[in-house]
Amino acid sequence: DKDKSASKDSTPEGASKRQEDGAETPKQRLLDIIGNMKVEVSYRKKLQQLKASERKKQALNKLEGLESEGSLPQGTTEDTQRGKPLNPELVKAASAVASSLPHNQKQTESELLAQLRRHEETTEKQKKGGTINIRNVISEMAVKRQTPTHKNARMSGRISLQLDEDGQRIRPGRSSAQSVDSRRSLKVGKRLNIFTKASTEQEHALKTVSSPTIWDLEFAKEVAAVTAQPPRNGFEEMIQWTKEGILWEFPIDNEVGMEDDAEFHEHIFLEKHLEGFPKEGPIRHFMELVICGLSKNPYLSVKQKVEHIEWFQKYFEEKKELLQEI
Amino acid sequence: MAAAALCWALRAARQVLPSPCPRQVRSYYVDWRMLRDVKRRKMAYEYADERLRINAIRKNSILPKELQEVADKEIAALPRDSCPVRIRNRCVLTSRPRGVKQRWRLSRIVFRHFADHAQMSGVQRAMW
Repeated sequence: DKDKSASKDSTPEGASKRQEDGAETPKQRLLDIIGNMKVEVSYRKKLQQLKASERKKQALNKLEGLESEGSLPQGTTEDTQRGKPLNPELVKAASAVASSLPHNQKQTESELLAQLRRHEETTEKQKKGGTINIRNVISEMAVKRQTPTHKNARMSGRISLQLDEDGQRIRPGRSSAQSVDSRRSLKVGKRLNIFTKASTEQEHALKTVSSPTIWDLEFAKEVAAVTAQPPRNGFEEMIQWTKEGILWEFPIDNEVGMEDDAEFHEHIFLEKHLEGFPKEGPIRHFMELVICGLSKNPYLSVKQKVEHIEWFQKYFEEKKELLQEI
Repeated sequence: MAAAALCWALRAARQVLPSPCPRQVRSYYVDWRMLRDVKRRKMAYEYADERLRINAIRKNSILPKELQEVADKEIAALPRDSCPVRIRNRCVLTSRPRGVKQRWRLSRIVFRHFADHAQMSGVQRAMW
């Protein structure tokens, strides 16, 4: 299968390159070369590869559920009729590759064409903006080495018999192992980006807004009271005290409560806050003294100092009439 | 003295809260005087900034005297319990107004009791 995929990848590229050149002789030469190439693969390996590709296709059918893929196990000869017609050059290249491979030319050709069609579909989806990566999907699947015929029968039976006469789902014991495996493979592994995340985020937002009801708070309090067991030893007691704030955290940090983000110049150069005051007179003199005192004060934050100055501004504005009498 | 010790031993209304925390929580003050002291402390904390600023205007040689008189009247108009002078450092356990060591906030009797029972860290009977 790897050989086929490698050759398939190279041939469309080669065909496109030849398309750009527009010359027929190099293309024909390439096709002749491919036709002359004899891939030396043993018969058993070939069979196994074919069976593996079939199984992969069937698994793909299950996951993606595309209608066009559903008919694959039944009619491989209908490839050329349904869906978008492939590039005739690609078809020619596929036929040349099929002729180079040892066994069952027609079957290999049809499978190659099917793969090409799938490739084109994926490229279209990616152009449209879909982020489904089939390679990721295939890589995550664990294909079991069972006889394909049995699996075929099981698969078809499963698809058709989903609902019983009573309306309840049948879950046969045989498929439980498969369902378990599928469950395991679903949760484990890389994300496939098939579904969008937008809806879940909205739900979360709604939940957080409406959650703090009284009953929820009471329940949370009860749970906290039940789970808060009395400390078994001195260490747990000290842990509890540290959480409550009774005991300091060691090594002692002298600046635990203080979070002064202001720079030193904001503490010292406070003249810019003096803009609301008159420029001359006793009030200005008084406020300059106030600012001098504040700039030397390491215990107040910048906010507190600014509030101090603003309080004086308000006070003097209220007393303006009185001051003008003087 | 013995009466005070007894009073402190049979404290009025020590409630045990329903939550399973093993620590004792004091929900009532020792007496009404202690409660009034607590109220005064809270008010003093609220009005501390205002009082400081009005006093800064009052105790001033630069500003005009009329302004200082107005500030005098304003500070007198504030509630009486807001001044820090009315706070009395009472003993925390017995509410005794006198004989209180400020470092431990305890009256001398309680202090001596705890120190003799070795419940005061770093405190030892003096002998020299």
